[in-house]
Amino acid sequence: MIREKETTLYLGPQHPGITGNMMVKLKVAGDTIVKAETHVGYLHRAFEKLMETRTWMQSFPIVCRICVPEPDPNEENFARAVEEIEGREVPERAKYIRVMVLELARLASFGLWMGGQSGTAGLYTIPQWTVGDRDYILDLFEELTGGRVYHMYIWPGGVRKDLPEGFTDRVLKTLDYLESRLPAIDNLMFDNAIFQKRAQGVGYIDPKHAREWGVVGPPLRGCGFKNDVRIDEPYEIYDKLKFEVPTETGGDIWARALVRRREYEQSISIIRQVIEKMPGGEFYNKVPNPLTWTIPPGDAYVKTESVRGEFGYYVVSDGSTKPRRVHVRGPAYVHAVSLLERILVGANIADVAFIMNSLGTCPPEIER
Amino acid sequence: MMNDTIKDLKTEQAFANQIQKTFKTARVRVVREKRVEVIMSADMIPPYLTHAKNQHDFEHLTHISCVDWLEEGHFELVYILWSYSMNIQLLVKCRIPRHEPEFISIHKIWDHAETYEREIHEMYGITFAGNDNLGEFLLEDWDGPPPMRRDFDTVKYSQENFKDRMDARQDAQNVRETITKRSGEEMPDFAKPYSLR
Repeated sequence: MIREKETTLYLGPQHPGITGNMMVKLKVAGDTIVKAETHVGYLHRAFEKLMETRTWMQSFPIVCRICVPEPDPNEENFARAVEEIEGREVPERAKYIRVMVLELARLASFGLWMGGQSGTAGLYTIPQWTVGDRDYILDLFEELTGGRVYHMYIWPGGVRKDLPEGFTDRVLKTLDYLESRLPAIDNLMFDNAIFQKRAQGVGYIDPKHAREWGVVGPPLRGCGFKNDVRIDEPYEIYDKLKFEVPTETGGDIWARALVRRREYEQSISIIRQVIEKMPGGEFYNKVPNPLTWTIPPGDAYVKTESVRGEFGYYVVSDGSTKPRRVHVRGPAYVHAVSLLERILVGANIADVAFIMNSLGTCPPEIER
Repeated sequence: MMNDTIKDLKTEQAFANQIQKTFKTARVRVVREKRVEVIMSADMIPPYLTHAKNQHDFEHLTHISCVDWLEEGHFELVYILWSYSMNIQLLVKCRIPRHEPEFISIHKIWDHAETYEREIHEMYGITFAGNDNLGEFLLEDWDGPPPMRRDFDTVKYSQENFKDRMDARQDAQNVRETITKRSGEEMPDFAKPYSLR
């Protein structure tokens, strides 16, 4: 066997396949990776520290900025954690609206993922399509919340505003459009031999260790485990909805891609059910004056299923007007550090961005 | 063996009772559906976590969190675990003294605990014995005190250490004034800094 000289290669922090900045220090022999080390720190904005010096309400514009492609799980988690510690009830209608917003955010995030995943494989048409389609969802968000990317819409006690007139019709029309685009996307991406050959057998996660390694979301479901926070610990009104949790057994990028592709359809179906069943009534259970609003001492760990997997918030209150501690657990925290370092060994340099994208690498949620 | 164990623990209460039976000094509480909290002394943590993983199927270490109780002189470490078979989220809590921020690493039980401990070490200055990888994580070239501690004053620290940068920033923010001066115009009142209005 010829032993090739090992070289150190710094990949990043500007990266083609991910949202945000992160660097992977690679030791390569030829173009095969021998050792990988994740370096983060380019995006640290000390959000958790900032929240300790702000009131509960002032923390809201911060939490959604923790994850750019899918900010709503952050809002929902923080709101639900505060509600759980305080024991505040949420109107039924607000719960339905929350689920609709969460699922719309999932669809938008799926659009970005498809773009990133196929773009890193060299298929540059898909990003143009799916990122363009995502914009139709952002239009809906703009109408509903005033913001395209960051919404600050879900807050303790319910949601900030009721649905505008005719909004659900526009959502349904957008869903019809998004669904009608799927055959073309399948044709160009999922049925494409180039994509299949690039994805199959690459970025393999051993199902034997997947749970132990802290893998969650589509990478875990791609290993054959039917685990989804929406099923395992239903929050809001997910227990009243019918949906499937797709699984694959391959453990590679292809398996994760298929899982996400089928989840896209499930999200569309969930939003349709939510609109059909949505009750009338109040959308907000008013909180006291936010400047003097205190939360009783206590703590809560709540979690949401985001596109990348379990998104958790551990919130501690000491009975004052400000949070004692807010700890965010994004799925990328494990996926992009310990798991990535592990599965990059033996991979090709050309596959790094491809693998990172399939794991849902999102540096802002590692650094918070 | 495992299946029998799970059958016996149908509800959170049954599970809590079982912990209480084995670990008598621990304080166990069912918080709500799917949430159980265990508070125990720090030296019991590694054996208990091993027990939880092997006997009760808590395979998934979701997170390790740290809370600074400055007034009481403690750091609280919270190990958040999830059992896929029982669907229970377990919060295992212990307190360590603030003046002696040392604890035992659990990266032998879960590999990825190494990253969590690395962050806690950086942000709170807690050393985890047995974890060799406690180097820089989020902060770069940081020589100040651990920044997530409650007694770390961010404003004071930046005023003392980044004075040159703050001046530079103020200059940079005065672009409008520079431009109006250069073109010999008077800046409108609403655009002036508050101090000059």
